[in-house]
Amino acid sequence: MTVIWFRLSCISLLNRGQRNISIFSNATPSNFNKVVSDAEKIVGYPTSFVSLRCLLSDELSNVAMHVRKLVGTKHPLLSTARGLIYDSRNNLRMRGLVVLLMSKAAGPSQHTASDHLPQDMVSGIYPRTVSHHLKDGPKVSISAPIPGSLHRLILPRNLAEVTELIHTAFLVHRGIINLKEWTNSDGPLKDMQFGNKMSVLSGDFLLANACTGLAQLNNTKVVELISSAIGDLVQGNYHEIHNSLEDNSLTDEINMVTWEEQTFLSHGALLAKSCQAAMELAKHDKDAQGLAYKYGKHLSLGHKLNSDLQLFVKSSCSADPVTFSFNSAPVVFHRQIVGQERWCHQLQQAKTIGRQMDYTKLRSTIKLEKGVTSTIDLCRYHGNKALESIQCFPSSEARSALENIARAVTKF
Amino acid sequence: MAIPWRHCWRWTTGATSTSVLETICGLNGRSATFAALSLRGTGAVAGSGKERLSSRPEDTTSIGNYILTSRHKSRLLYPTQKPCCCKRIHSDAKLKDPFTLAQKDLNHLYDDIKKELFVSKSELKSLCDYYFDGKGKAFRPMIVVLMARACNIHSNRDGSVCLCRDLLPGQRSIAMISEMIHTASLVHDDVIDGSDKRRGKTTINEVWGERKAILAGDFILSAASMALARIGNNTVVSVLSQVIEDLVRGEFMQLGSKENESERFKHYLEKSFKKTASLIANSCKAVSILVNSDPEVQEIAFQYGRNVGIAFQLVDDVLDFTACASQLGKPSATDLKLGLATGPVLFACQQFPELHAMIMRRFSTTGDVDRAWQYVLESDGVDQTNYLAQSYCREAIRQISLLRPSPERDALIRLTEMVLTRDK
Repeated sequence: MTVIWFRLSCISLLNRGQRNISIFSNATPSNFNKVVSDAEKIVGYPTSFVSLRCLLSDELSNVAMHVRKLVGTKHPLLSTARGLIYDSRNNLRMRGLVVLLMSKAAGPSQHTASDHLPQDMVSGIYPRTVSHHLKDGPKVSISAPIPGSLHRLILPRNLAEVTELIHTAFLVHRGIINLKEWTNSDGPLKDMQFGNKMSVLSGDFLLANACTGLAQLNNTKVVELISSAIGDLVQGNYHEIHNSLEDNSLTDEINMVTWEEQTFLSHGALLAKSCQAAMELAKHDKDAQGLAYKYGKHLSLGHKLNSDLQLFVKSSCSADPVTFSFNSAPVVFHRQIVGQERWCHQLQQAKTIGRQMDYTKLRSTIKLEKGVTSTIDLCRYHGNKALESIQCFPSSEARSALENIARAVTKF
Repeated sequence: MAIPWRHCWRWTTGATSTSVLETICGLNGRSATFAALSLRGTGAVAGSGKERLSSRPEDTTSIGNYILTSRHKSRLLYPTQKPCCCKRIHSDAKLKDPFTLAQKDLNHLYDDIKKELFVSKSELKSLCDYYFDGKGKAFRPMIVVLMARACNIHSNRDGSVCLCRDLLPGQRSIAMISEMIHTASLVHDDVIDGSDKRRGKTTINEVWGERKAILAGDFILSAASMALARIGNNTVVSVLSQVIEDLVRGEFMQLGSKENESERFKHYLEKSFKKTASLIANSCKAVSILVNSDPEVQEIAFQYGRNVGIAFQLVDDVLDFTACASQLGKPSATDLKLGLATGPVLFACQQFPELHAMIMRRFSTTGDVDRAWQYVLESDGVDQTNYLAQSYCREAIRQISLLRPSPERDALIRLTEMVLTRDK
């Protein structure tokens, strides 16, 4: 119970310093929430439970206590933590949900032997994960045979958790700052070092739990597949570090093809490969795996494009160094359309007398050209591609839910 | 000096030091009586030689030998104990030299690891390759390779002695994987500790920044995980995934300090297991799983790795006090500066209770680090830690001796000596 108390006190402390726009308040359309909650009913329980078990561990409660010291500084871990505990609806939980729905939508394959799951596979999952994270709690053991429809969800549920863990781990690791770039306005150096330390440790903890979770799935093909997704995430994030710097935007050649490749790595690979893995676990053939992969890939890309567009289609969003990304699709499209020279000129124009960037002006400049509309078109394209893939599956509630998610992600 | 004498008597009567004894006995299950016997046996001998020892505190090699040879005189439970027969080992030195035996398998280890790190962006590639330049000790892969061969011979694969000792492909992968996991954790540790030097080179975080360093570590880990999956054995995957979790939990354990002295020591040993020994123990277990389904053989491999690993860490902690910076490739007294209380400090605390307060505040007050260092060098903390390392090595030898004789098995025995006598 002390653990819950820590969480609650953490929430209240974090809310005190709340900024208007957190990187997670993805202002998606209002029906998205409904789509997600309807979908959650289909899989049995809210997928927000999936990652909470990890968050309640001793180690992370320890971190939560320490993170309080960061209140008042600008270390990114603060906003990441707030996003994890506070925002239960948005893209954080979507991945796990999609993986679960995918397993349900595919239904049983002709290769699954019988509905009765071997005892050790069942007991290997619940008692291990429950007693693992709640060390002093009661040990759960399952001795009765599991009804057919339910057991199909046990393994994928663990896969969904692994997906969430990896995604969260990278969010946390993204929040590390380079100490050499530290300035006084960030807060005391000691606090920044401390924040880094907490970020590294928490991210590593989540990744380690993902690895043990993967091992429990008892399928080395899946381990290989998901591990490769981790490698993709690293590469994607690496590109992002490079691309997000304003200086690099002045010198680098970039186009949307490259953008898509890199964004797939950082935002699409994990979900695409998890969906494929869900099919592999259920022993579906290569075709089904391919369709699942495509759905995951196009859904993620569509979602990212949607997210990038918010700043340009919603008038209530303010443009500032946090919300404006030089690597966002509309900006990249714009640069590709107007060319390097005009872009440099526009950047100059958007600077105030004090050589500070006026992001509102820059945004207006971009809106005048075709960057935004091109992005909207691309978003719709990916949404449709996702729909196409999922519609190849047999008709079911789960499939409809996935269709709804694909549609919601491309709505403006 | 009167103090070390008195302290020594306390050890032999077992009066106040039972907590530490219990700790060792508790962790070393089977060897409980053995550990107790040897401690009491040597106590008397060590007592008489204390003066000599304290006059040369930095000469750990000769101390080690002294204790090794003196133990020969005390009653031992297991007559098969070989470690004190220094003469015999030295004459067969070349035959059983771990490095020579393992060399063939380890020749292209680093090149093969680099091949696993398949990444398109050239800067990221150079970050990942940074520590796989062949300058590391390759200590873990060496143990893994030797253990694999020893197990192969013990299991008498193929029936023919010549063929069966060769490594299975999966076993070689495990050697690579263990080094990769180890390196990934080092990269992250450097960021956590804010280190600027490792193995004589500037650290990745110092050159490229913390963000990229963390990504590089994550990448190496993912490559290790992929290689692990490709072996195709679910049990091996579980065993080595456990290592990754232990590594992180070990780091977390370092964040807190325990109030109670005896709890502190237990905490220290458990942390040492998680941070160092787990990787070695589980890698050894993994290679044995690939060749032998007998759980007893797997347990032997695991226990050898565990005991050697803890001994390794204990010696590492001693070196932090006794070696100077240039030899190590990184600055020393680092543990104190990071606020960590290791073996020598914990032992010294029994003689100098002033250390207790310093430990609790993690040596944060100015002058704490220097004063603590002084206390440790004045006390017998270093000796005690070395002694403890020796007892772990003895247990490792006892375990490995249960396997069928082979050059590799003897090399593993020889290796425990190397762990104790290394200077970097």
